[in-house]
Amino acid sequence: MKLDLRGVSVALDGHPIVHEADLLVDDGEFVGLVGPNGCGKSTLLRSVYRALRPAAGLIAVDGDDVHRLPARQAARRTAVVAQEIPADLDFTVAEIVFMGRTPYKADAAADEELCARALERVGLTGAAERIFATLSGGEKQRVLLARALAQQTRLLLLDEPTSHLDVRHQLEILHLVRELGIATLAVLHDLNQAAAFCDRLYVMNAGRIMAGGPPGQVLTPDLIRQVYGVRAVHRTQLVFERLKEER
Amino acid sequence: MTSATRQSPAQTGLVPKNRRASGFPLLIAALAVAVVASTWLAVSIGAVHVALPEAWGIVADRLLPGVPADGAPRTWTPAQEQIVWEFRLPRALLALLVGAGLAVVGAVLQALVRNPLADPFLLGISSGASFGAVLVLILGASALGGLSLSAAAFAGSLLSLALVYVLAQRSGRLSPSRLVLAGVALAYLFQAAYSFVLQLAQSGRAAQQVLFWLMGSLGGARWHMLPLPAVVLAAGVTYLLLQHRPLNALAAGEETAVSLGVNVHRFRLTLFVLTSLLVGVLVATSGAIAFVGLIVPHAARLLVGADHRRVLPVAALLGAVFLQLVDIAARTVNAPQELALSIVTALFGVPFFLWLLRRRSVDRAVSVT
Repeated sequence: MKLDLRGVSVALDGHPIVHEADLLVDDGEFVGLVGPNGCGKSTLLRSVYRALRPAAGLIAVDGDDVHRLPARQAARRTAVVAQEIPADLDFTVAEIVFMGRTPYKADAAADEELCARALERVGLTGAAERIFATLSGGEKQRVLLARALAQQTRLLLLDEPTSHLDVRHQLEILHLVRELGIATLAVLHDLNQAAAFCDRLYVMNAGRIMAGGPPGQVLTPDLIRQVYGVRAVHRTQLVFERLKEER
Repeated sequence: MTSATRQSPAQTGLVPKNRRASGFPLLIAALAVAVVASTWLAVSIGAVHVALPEAWGIVADRLLPGVPADGAPRTWTPAQEQIVWEFRLPRALLALLVGAGLAVVGAVLQALVRNPLADPFLLGISSGASFGAVLVLILGASALGGLSLSAAAFAGSLLSLALVYVLAQRSGRLSPSRLVLAGVALAYLFQAAYSFVLQLAQSGRAAQQVLFWLMGSLGGARWHMLPLPAVVLAAGVTYLLLQHRPLNALAAGEETAVSLGVNVHRFRLTLFVLTSLLVGVLVATSGAIAFVGLIVPHAARLLVGADHRRVLPVAALLGAVFLQLVDIAARTVNAPQELALSIVTALFGVPFFLWLLRRRSVDRAVSVT
């Protein structure tokens, strides 16, 4: 599964937000998309999962233009963990995960099995009957990830999956996604985390992709000053790592 | 349907058995019994009392002529038979249809606009219907080319459907907030229009008739009024049950639904047209009965959770029983005068509504929209 963006421009209500973005995610790659607030990262991601239609350019998943695929076909290729939290109805965790099967023909037994495995994968087997709205932020993210897993796609899109989480849960989610080995494009906030987890990084600023490549080559002090307007300094500092015996 | 083929989660051993799922067939069976029992009660109770066995006998005799119940002679009078068969039974059946239909529409609209306070009259369809009905009641059928009351009401609802769509769409797409705004605006417009007609008419008797109709009544029910709502309701509920997964996805949010492969714009349009037609057909037969479509879906969700595969059938049956009991109360409490149905539904609806307002989920959910 390969995601290939060529010259993608996206406008919101007539205002251009993203300009001619080129971006590539190869099979099994974990690719990060970073940049200051309002630079267009989420907008670009939304155009990949068809919430927005690009004004120009091509978004291809496995060689096919996603905006020309039937909605169901596209949803069988790409799953999303977005920031939108479905909270107003009292869906249970199991019901939320089951939604991942929406793009497929119903097959009760197989669906049960897939959803059970997805919940197991995110470590929430016992929580199936709990009401989603009553979960903590970290648990909610894991449930939404389980839904994306139940969708059985080979491309995963994440929009700031760790934004409301404490440091331990941030690391858990990112490790979990890494271990999946699915092609992943993640909008990330924390540059240190992005550098630690991503195979490659794209840096966006003011709607344009400024640089792309392995984190070590991309996150240069020069680029960071140019994009974020801050000075990047290498220092020995406290680094947070997940405990191995967790889970 | 799918619930029958669905295996118990316990069989995989990983997901614990769903408490709400396991009681579901039992709940459906209990509600089905309640539908029959309340309907039986409804044909028995009234100014002319018909005892329960006789009421049963009359209906059985009509449905299965030539199969007398254990050879017993008829124990009822022709007058009783006429009252039960010509008036009470069609009325009771219409109560079931209208109650079920309003409850289902309410459940769907609450998912469509993602607002728990949505009800079937939110989109302005009923006010268009009321306008049509008022024209006929005040100006007489001849003024509208011989349209009957319910035909005029239905025409009015189609008119408001078209207007709401034109106002709410932007390049063919409907957004929930624009739907609500257009619906509310049109409701005010039509209310102003029929109030104007009423004021011009200055006929106390007609005005009273109009008021009664606006508040909902099943008093005009006859056999010939049943097929259309029955067919539309059956088709609508069948479609909605087949679409329970997209409905769930839509209730979880627009972007979620898109990412799950739901063609949100087309699906919304379909739901809008379907619910509007259903409301138009129902309002045309019975007027605008308040609260059923607002509270019954919430009661259904309290019983079975948010999954539409279970919410829709439970809401339909619950709504049917509820309106049947409401109609019985409306006929008997102040007999021989009948109460308008909205008065009785408000009696139950308002306390439930206030209790709902105090629940934690409402603030959050309303702020979403």
